[in-house]
Amino acid sequence: MSRMFADFKAFGRAYLRSRTGFFFALIFPVILILVFGAIFSQTGTQKINLPVQDLDNSYWSQTYLRFINQTGAFTVQMISSDIDFDQYIKDELLVLAMQIPPGFGTNVSNRLNSTGPPAMIILKGDPTNSYFAIGQGAANAVASQLAFYGNHVNDVAVVQPQTIGEPQYTFIDFFVPGMIAFTALTTPLFSMSTICSEYRNRGFFKLLGSTPLKKSEWLAAKILWYIVLMLASIVIMYAVGIAAFSAHFTITPMAILLVIVGVFLFTSLGMFLGVFVNNPESAAALANAIGFPMMFLSGIFFQLDSMPEYLQYIAKALPLTYLAEGLRATMSLGNDVVAATDLVILLVSGIILFIVAARAMSWKGK
Amino acid sequence: MSEVVLEATGLVKTYGDLNAVDNLDLQVFKGEVYSMLGPNGAGKTTTVEILEGLRNPTSGTAKVFGLDVMKDYDKVRSKVGVLPQTFEPWDRLRPPEAIEYWASLFGRKMTKRDIHALLEKVDLAHKDKVWGERLSGGEKRRLGIAMALVGDPELIFLDEPTTGLDPQARKGLWGIIHALGDAGKTVFLTTHYLEEAENLADRVSIMNKGKIVVSGSPEELVNLYGGGTHVILRGAGEPGMASLEKLGYKSTIHDRDVTVHVPSLMRTKDFMVQINQTGIGYKDFETRRPSLEDVFFNMVGGRMEEGVLK
Repeated sequence: MSRMFADFKAFGRAYLRSRTGFFFALIFPVILILVFGAIFSQTGTQKINLPVQDLDNSYWSQTYLRFINQTGAFTVQMISSDIDFDQYIKDELLVLAMQIPPGFGTNVSNRLNSTGPPAMIILKGDPTNSYFAIGQGAANAVASQLAFYGNHVNDVAVVQPQTIGEPQYTFIDFFVPGMIAFTALTTPLFSMSTICSEYRNRGFFKLLGSTPLKKSEWLAAKILWYIVLMLASIVIMYAVGIAAFSAHFTITPMAILLVIVGVFLFTSLGMFLGVFVNNPESAAALANAIGFPMMFLSGIFFQLDSMPEYLQYIAKALPLTYLAEGLRATMSLGNDVVAATDLVILLVSGIILFIVAARAMSWKGK
Repeated sequence: MSEVVLEATGLVKTYGDLNAVDNLDLQVFKGEVYSMLGPNGAGKTTTVEILEGLRNPTSGTAKVFGLDVMKDYDKVRSKVGVLPQTFEPWDRLRPPEAIEYWASLFGRKMTKRDIHALLEKVDLAHKDKVWGERLSGGEKRRLGIAMALVGDPELIFLDEPTTGLDPQARKGLWGIIHALGDAGKTVFLTTHYLEEAENLADRVSIMNKGKIVVSGSPEELVNLYGGGTHVILRGAGEPGMASLEKLGYKSTIHDRDVTVHVPSLMRTKDFMVQINQTGIGYKDFETRRPSLEDVFFNMVGGRMEEGVLK
């Protein structure tokens, strides 16, 4: 154990003296938060999946949904009427969903005859998410269209927006957990793959092999270092999120566990890649080739359901997807059940990768 | 006979059709500086890495302190110090930090004073604020030796420690290696510098094409395989040459100076007694002893320049 800490201390000391390592671990994520936060907090996108629960199932509710479909802005997915709507949103981590309450058709009919209150459509989600803004606009427009069935009647149906979780949640509360997952990928993956290659090329592995330090102790020291680095990074990102964007996400014990397991997994992946390349440049190229697609396919910068279906299948096979999803679930939505499932997936993947990497890696010459 | 610290028997390492190490036997005794001398590609580093437990042999056995290097090296690892051929220090660790790190890996607590003393020993104490990447080639090697010494090892492997260094830095390292020998450490030194082996080693093995060609102390090797001593009899002239021929010695003449070849097995002193008894006249004499370079040439059939066989 003391040998592992000795290696941890020496590695950490050298790492922090590397401006590149310091920049990518602690500064780069902050820059991305500031840039993407500024951009995506203000603008929206056009492709929207819209899960809908129709509790009325009347002529008018179906007419309304037909109009919604005709806008071309939505892909409507029906939710069974016997499912708990709020729980479904929480479980599926939806940013937008619609519910047509019972009595919708009756209220529309009454309203068209100038009696009774307007019919209500509930649009639930994250009001600061760009999808929500687009969804609300389109839903209101379609609701207004129902007025053409009556004579001089306004407000036949109105859209009532409701927020998921706490009403003050903002885009940054969804984005920062993703950035934490992003950093848990990039720092260990890029760094470890390069380090493994560099250590082999420069004879450091042979040198270490001549000491009582065990390979497992060396690996554990690296994982421990990246965990400590990531925890420091989380604190910085948290502080920036609060200071710059008044974020409201929370750092939960489950989030810490997810980060630890995520770092374990991506450090192991970095080691694994480092085994198969001969020089640090190739290691960096290979890590980029694997890491960058993973970043963009795992819902860090873009919502998964905005991607083509086949890409969504690919995303489901990527560990970063589960880390980002789990962190968002626990930090922003308070959903530790989803996060725990993601944790188990990451842990199993991490253990498999660690064993494969540790076996593939050798300090000895051939 | 001293205790055997290192022993290899029938050691073989093959890469495809190439026998990098070809049925090699060797023994290294406690307290000696043993040098493996040979050109690049002779198999020195492969051999030393097998003996360090950093490479597996294809066949044969290697033992360090009586333990098999493939099975039980962990038990003696703390008694062995290693300076690999390609040693480089960590770029962003200062020498004292590198020493502290290495000592911790060997489970040894070193005070700042201990570290300073060790750095003084390798003449690096004045560089204690400099990152590893900014040390010169010689300073890096000296740091490597200091790191190899942190566990106070009984056996130290130095794989081509002076390759690529300027003469001054090389001589500096020789001083350190001499001091290790004087301190009773067992040193396994590989080199392609003949004068280095001759200057430092108690015993030398000349290695070529994976095999040990010959072993012995530098003196033994020179005497046995150096090809004998050349004696120059100043002013002996034609008469001296004729007298030598009668005694059975072939000689050459240049400006009345006669050069005669005294075979390896004969002591120069005995030769001089013999010619003095015959009354050969000469003004003065000088001898030119063969060196390890001559031994190498005679045994390998070529000369080495910077590790390349010519």
